[in-house]
Amino acid sequence: MLPEHIRRADALRYLGGAGIAPDARMTALLDAAEAELLAAAKPKYLYQIVPLPCDELTRGADIRAHLAGCDRAVVLCATLGAAVDRLIRVSQVGDMPRAVVLDALAGVLIEQVCEGVDRLLASQMPDAYFTFRFSPGYGDYPLTLQRDFLRLLDAPRKIGLSMTDSFLLTPSKSVTAIAGISASPIPKQRRGCVICSLRDSCPYQRKGTHCGF
Amino acid sequence: MDFNTLLQQEFVLLDGAMGTLIQRSGAHYDHSPETLNLTAPELIQSFHRAYVDAGAQILYANTFGANAYKLADSGCTVAQIVTAAIANAKAAAGSKALVALDIGPVGMLPEPAGAMTFEQAYDYFREIILAGADADVIVFETMTDLLELKAAILAAKESCDKPVLATMTFERDGRTFTGVSPAAFALTVSGLGVDALGVNCSLGPDELEPVVAEMTRYTDLPLIVKANAGLPDPNSNVYNILPDRFAECVVSLLPYGVKIVGGCCGTTPEYIAAIRDVLAERRFIPCPRTVDTAVCSASTVMEINVPRVIGERINPTGKKRFQQALLDNNIDYILGQALEQMKGGAEILDVNVGHPEIDEKQMMVRVIKAIQSVCDAPLQIDSTKPEVLAAGLRVYSGKPIVNSVNGEEKSLAAVLPLVKKYGASVVGLTLDENGIPSTAEGRFDIARRIVTRAEALGIDRRDVYIDCLTLTVSAEQDACRETLRALHRVKTELGCKTCLGVSNISFGLPNRPLVNATFLAIALEEGLDLPIMNPNLDSMMGAVRAYRVLHGIDRDARAFIAAYQDAPAVSAAPAQKGDTDLFTAVYSGLKSEGAAATERLLQTEDAMAIVNERLIPALDRVGADFENKKIFLPQLIQSANTAQACFEVIKKHLGTSGESVSKGKIILATVKGDIHDIGKNIVKTLLDNYGFTVVDLGKDVDPQLIVDTAVAQNITMVGLSALMTTTLKSMEDTIALLRATPELQHPDGSSRVTVFVGGAVLTRDYAMKIGADYYCRDAKESVDTARLVFGA
Repeated sequence: MLPEHIRRADALRYLGGAGIAPDARMTALLDAAEAELLAAAKPKYLYQIVPLPCDELTRGADIRAHLAGCDRAVVLCATLGAAVDRLIRVSQVGDMPRAVVLDALAGVLIEQVCEGVDRLLASQMPDAYFTFRFSPGYGDYPLTLQRDFLRLLDAPRKIGLSMTDSFLLTPSKSVTAIAGISASPIPKQRRGCVICSLRDSCPYQRKGTHCGF
Repeated sequence: MDFNTLLQQEFVLLDGAMGTLIQRSGAHYDHSPETLNLTAPELIQSFHRAYVDAGAQILYANTFGANAYKLADSGCTVAQIVTAAIANAKAAAGSKALVALDIGPVGMLPEPAGAMTFEQAYDYFREIILAGADADVIVFETMTDLLELKAAILAAKESCDKPVLATMTFERDGRTFTGVSPAAFALTVSGLGVDALGVNCSLGPDELEPVVAEMTRYTDLPLIVKANAGLPDPNSNVYNILPDRFAECVVSLLPYGVKIVGGCCGTTPEYIAAIRDVLAERRFIPCPRTVDTAVCSASTVMEINVPRVIGERINPTGKKRFQQALLDNNIDYILGQALEQMKGGAEILDVNVGHPEIDEKQMMVRVIKAIQSVCDAPLQIDSTKPEVLAAGLRVYSGKPIVNSVNGEEKSLAAVLPLVKKYGASVVGLTLDENGIPSTAEGRFDIARRIVTRAEALGIDRRDVYIDCLTLTVSAEQDACRETLRALHRVKTELGCKTCLGVSNISFGLPNRPLVNATFLAIALEEGLDLPIMNPNLDSMMGAVRAYRVLHGIDRDARAFIAAYQDAPAVSAAPAQKGDTDLFTAVYSGLKSEGAAATERLLQTEDAMAIVNERLIPALDRVGADFENKKIFLPQLIQSANTAQACFEVIKKHLGTSGESVSKGKIILATVKGDIHDIGKNIVKTLLDNYGFTVVDLGKDVDPQLIVDTAVAQNITMVGLSALMTTTLKSMEDTIALLRATPELQHPDGSSRVTVFVGGAVLTRDYAMKIGADYYCRDAKESVDTARLVFGA
């Protein structure tokens, strides 16, 4: 599930540049950090197909709208493992530029791992259609469901993924999500700001508008 | 029958999986399978009975997840479940089997990867153990974190005297999820006084040989193997190793000292019966450990079979900056020292945080937790106070060295029991009530006394590292020979390992490095195993590296060549272009060039002019370019780091200390409940770089601690970070508490504190709504805000 390369364009966006090319020094920093990260990451994932409706796992209007028309859903979780957190933690002692780069790359890498799981599921169910992944904390989908996801998947025991009292995943470079499965095509969904990966740095949102996507 | 009687037999047979049988039965439960102990006792008893019939001699009660954290929404208490579970197991066991209180991980990741503290873990385990008073044995299994397991074992040892078994689960790479190696596990847990240890869950028994082979080298205890029935098919959940094959694989592990066997996920009574049958005609094969003595962190084992360097620099004695760091609670400075020594070649780090003006015990705990969160080196816990040693030993993840015990009765009586309880190694100083004997014979006698006392408590003499004490050669020239003679005798006659602080030897002489390195080389030749020294002095590390080559320890001189082949190139590298101007250096984030440019400018220009006309404009330009997205965040930080290096040069030139030119003091914290702190750390780095003094309270910080710190240090600017929507509430609470604190108010009741906030999910509107003064969307804005507020 480990990709050969980490998508650099995405990482650069996290790092605050917009459309500019990194210089040689920045590129060297990115190259080194990418190699370190790929060596430290031990991606692990779990998934389970659940029939819908499933009241327990679909609380909130947003998730119901998201799963409308689906008769099943896949509940999944993925993590890069504890060694990545440690790598980022160590680099924060005295080498903050590297820490920042590692953090950004790790954020992209966990998304790539999830995409790998998406592809795996698609190949196992060639006739099915999937919605995009929706995670606890998006919109009005309660973050507290993190506990139910982890318990359903037996994640602490099977892949060492657990959470804190405040529902933060540990290790931190981890994802839980649910995606709808349908036998018929799903109308293209608007992703909206709440689940946009750029929401932390979106210049439109800061001005109170949106990009129109 | 009791556990020790069972151990007299050739083998002890455990049971197989409980979860697998529950799953197959289709029994319904909400959340916790442990509730079945109450709702379906007959069913659980029938599973236990099936295992007894298959030959199991120890039954694991259905209590794996019966802790207060996992049972939180089950509607049952730990005591209810555990009592019922043990009763169910006992009902099935009768007189044919013992019943084990089975305890798995709490289910939250412990610090530093997660948020559960050692103390919390201890309390969870203690509650279960007290509830399980009727069990015959305590089992900890499927553990993945060494410190969590240590909390569990201590909770057991301190609450009862039942036998304790401990097993961890390892991945295919031979490590647990948190990176614990089988060696570190075996070494640490043997020291904590368990009765047997081994592996459970993990993989099939066909893949466990490397794990078992590694463990057995480090322990004399009987090994446990309770493997999965291979791997489950992802769709059918059927496991791929069948009973006969499973039993065969178990037999193949017997030569490693395996005595206690059973099955984990996917195994059933058929598996246990199959193991029983194959073991019937076999004999236990004892397999004594092959490693004499070693110390470890959770991930790194350091066998003391060749000279190992102990880094001495985490110690405030005679170091002003270090003392100041302790007073300021500046843990980052100490972590920097740890990592720098590792880079220099240290293999073990001595940790001493003694200072009359601080709470040494509290600081020792903080520093050990912090160091083991970023550094893999085994630690040597160094204090003159037994209570500080005890506190440090408790939270250390691994097998440490205690520094130190000496021949004085008071010391022997206070320190050695701690060494025994926590399974550490110990440095024995050859001095006593009468001081340091002047002769080698006198010191040898004390060493022998220490060893005798240690052995009387059950401490292996191989874990006692004798320090024959270095005296200053300029004061007592002949004492050097005595030290070396004593060292030689201890090594050859007592069979102990030896350690020695080497730097004292040259005090009062010119060219100290030469004397130190020469003394070190002689001492190594006399049998010194553990030099305590500064690994960042090349002459000292060089002596160790050369010794290792000359004695054939460093085969083919590989490490030596790796350390020095680039040496000429490295020393040539700082041939910095002498013409890089200050602006370019700061803008491009070239630290050494920036410092050099500042030095040059200081010859012709006024210091303040350099700051105001060159440094600040360069930084402003970097900041503006970052805002306009012309450079990336790491570049902004590199520039700020460079500017700080330039400021240091100017400070030195002006002869002022760091304190006096601080632009203002600011508290930073990631709020309660939030453990993501990289954003806060970036802000801290930049504020530091810009000349502000930051009091960093860390992550998951209680509002009261922030208020108390502000009051105690009279700090009126506070920066708060929160990353999740769920923790914004903590941010709001913290601000409210700051506002409501009378000591932080003006006479008219208005707040004296300026609060700035930031974090991924925060918006300007929301920041204002919860009562912040400033919203900072990134680290750069935080610096701008601080400059604005302090007029700096």
